[in-house]
Amino acid sequence: MSGLLPNAYHVARREYFIRVRSRAFMVTTILLAIVVVALTLVPTILSAVGVADPPEVAIAIEADDLTSDPVVAIQAALLIGIGTEEDPDAGSSGRGDRPRVIRADDPEAAAQAVRDGELDALLTITSDDDGELAFDYLGSASPTNQTRILVTQAATALAIEERLEGAGISPEESARIFEPPTFTATPVDPGDDRDADDVGGAFILAYAVVILTFMAILTYGNWVAQSVAEEKSGRVMELLITAATPRQLLTGKVLGTGAAGLSQYVVIIVAAVIGFVANGPISSALGVTGDAPISLPDIGIAMMGSFAAFFLLGFVLYSALYAAAGSMVSRIEDVQQAAGPLIFLAMAGYFAAFTGLNDPDANWVAILSIVPFFSPYLMPARMLLTSVGTGEVLMALAVLLVTVGIALAIASRIYSAGVLLYGQRMGLRSIWRATRVAR
Amino acid sequence: MSLIVDSITKRFGSILALDGVSFIVEPGRIFGLLGANGAGKTTSMRIVLDILRADSGRVTWGGAENISLARRTWGYLPEERGLYPRMLVGEQLRFFSALYGVPDAQARSEIDDWLERFRIPEYRDRKVEELSKGNQQKIQFIAAILHDPDVLIMDEPFSGLDPVNVRLLKEAFGEMRDQGKTLIFSTHQMETVEELCESIAIIDNGRVVVSGAVRDVKRAMGRSVVRLATGADDHDVAWLTDLDGVRLSAQREDYLELAVADGHDPEAILRALVERGSRVKRFEIAEPSLEEIFVEHVGRRAVDEADEHLAAVSRGGIAS
Repeated sequence: MSGLLPNAYHVARREYFIRVRSRAFMVTTILLAIVVVALTLVPTILSAVGVADPPEVAIAIEADDLTSDPVVAIQAALLIGIGTEEDPDAGSSGRGDRPRVIRADDPEAAAQAVRDGELDALLTITSDDDGELAFDYLGSASPTNQTRILVTQAATALAIEERLEGAGISPEESARIFEPPTFTATPVDPGDDRDADDVGGAFILAYAVVILTFMAILTYGNWVAQSVAEEKSGRVMELLITAATPRQLLTGKVLGTGAAGLSQYVVIIVAAVIGFVANGPISSALGVTGDAPISLPDIGIAMMGSFAAFFLLGFVLYSALYAAAGSMVSRIEDVQQAAGPLIFLAMAGYFAAFTGLNDPDANWVAILSIVPFFSPYLMPARMLLTSVGTGEVLMALAVLLVTVGIALAIASRIYSAGVLLYGQRMGLRSIWRATRVAR
Repeated sequence: MSLIVDSITKRFGSILALDGVSFIVEPGRIFGLLGANGAGKTTSMRIVLDILRADSGRVTWGGAENISLARRTWGYLPEERGLYPRMLVGEQLRFFSALYGVPDAQARSEIDDWLERFRIPEYRDRKVEELSKGNQQKIQFIAAILHDPDVLIMDEPFSGLDPVNVRLLKEAFGEMRDQGKTLIFSTHQMETVEELCESIAIIDNGRVVVSGAVRDVKRAMGRSVVRLATGADDHDVAWLTDLDGVRLSAQREDYLELAVADGHDPEAILRALVERGSRVKRFEIAEPSLEEIFVEHVGRRAVDEADEHLAAVSRGGIAS
């Protein structure tokens, strides 16, 4: 039995250069980079052409005896939660989406403007003899329409205020009634000091980590399987297997392909960074006051390190098994079929992670984040969204590492048996039989 | 320092591919492994190379078991040729050398030397898929020997080569043998075996039916062959088979082949011809050819089937 090096290195090197020099790789990478840059610039461009202007709602007042100006009150209610009343423009990352309210002096003209698409909605306020307010909304009235939902809430708030007023409760008193109580949340983990501002960025990052891991496993794992199947169907395999051991070949293949995949990722990430950096100058050049950039949570070196470890180990785990799948088929067309169970497993992890992102503290998420095949998705997401003990992270990594070792051993057995079997379709039983006689 | 294959047995599912195969290859010799298709030649080679493991039996080279030997001990030219189609010839050869641990500088100069010898130096920077089959095969041969293996194992090395390239390859074989390398190859071309091999093994249905030095194998057939041509108008040869121990083994276009059993003097035929006053144009005493030996051991049934088939074809030809 010879060691992994240097042959695993030679195999990886060949795999890497053949891959990155291929036209398909270059074209895909360049296209992806362009798409990513474009995506980062979309919000700026949209606001430059006015598509991203906030919806405009006109308010026609046909009620008397209102205690406050409904235009001001509704506008204030619409902005609740995204800024303070004293400084409505502060910290307004989502403010651009909130409807803007104008007074409709001529209700007929305003209604026509809504029909013509110049205005988004017209809200007519009337009152009956008891002073009870009624609202009439003209616009896109779908129950899921964001403007309608927001305006409904603001109108409800206004009506309640009016009723309280009628009951003899002064605006000051009612403001005090609706004042939220003092509520202090103390994290169990004293190191967990993230606040509400961090969570938005953490969610985006968690989604990004899950998606990137999933894409890497599916795309680059498939490359590994394809490349093994190509060597087998092109009959280079017999030369390779004479010159190097299955373990060397398999490890080199996984590492070389992984390195090529990582190179592609680096290009994409650099493109994304360039896009974000270019956003500032471009928006000012276009005269757009762009949204404040999303603040990413402050993740430490240890967290980055464990993300990298989960990503790499997860990739190696899946692609070693992809290599085994590739070695089981005689024709390249059959690769997808052989890799079917793996694709299923990868998808299961992906969907589990997406569901888990909504409830990162659930028990099942905690358990799955230790289970290999799932932990590369779930543990990084959990670490971003909630506080996870170091012991748990280390345990998940250890379990994953052991699984990778077992998977590599099993995969190289299947590989060494599979690479010389041609023609027959391999069921699990014939694979098992073959692994017992292979070297 | 010989290669000893000692009663290896290999079963694939219900098929017994090798059934106690044994043979010995002396170092520094060229050894021929003969057998019909599916006889077990490729499986034997793969087991010697430790690509496959035998169910029982062992293979030793110089006393050491093959599974303990470094991979660079062996060079292998598989029957199914395969290279990376889109990789440059030079790069590809360097890759395989690197796997065998050859330093890159040495690999480069060896590659240039070999491409020069095979008269294809201009292909070094071409993709393999642009080369003809024959040239690809030469590249594959170079890939098998660049790391200077002690034992070179080749599955049908001459198939698909034109006569010029067959000549080049045979010269390379001889040269490697002179350097003390041991060469083992399988083939269907008996003339090539007669020309190159000191010893052979014939495998049939997973068993070695005969093995040893070619000379000994021929002697063991227990007969000699007389090739005879007589005067042009003298076609009556039936009386020859009345002679003791003489049998007509083949009737060729311009001569006859007679088998003379051991213990009988082939010259008795010549004397009988002279007594009858026949004109003798050719009289040659020879050993049986490897082809005869092969057919006798392996192919009687196969040959009969082939003859029947031929007969059927020619009958059909006459009828139409």
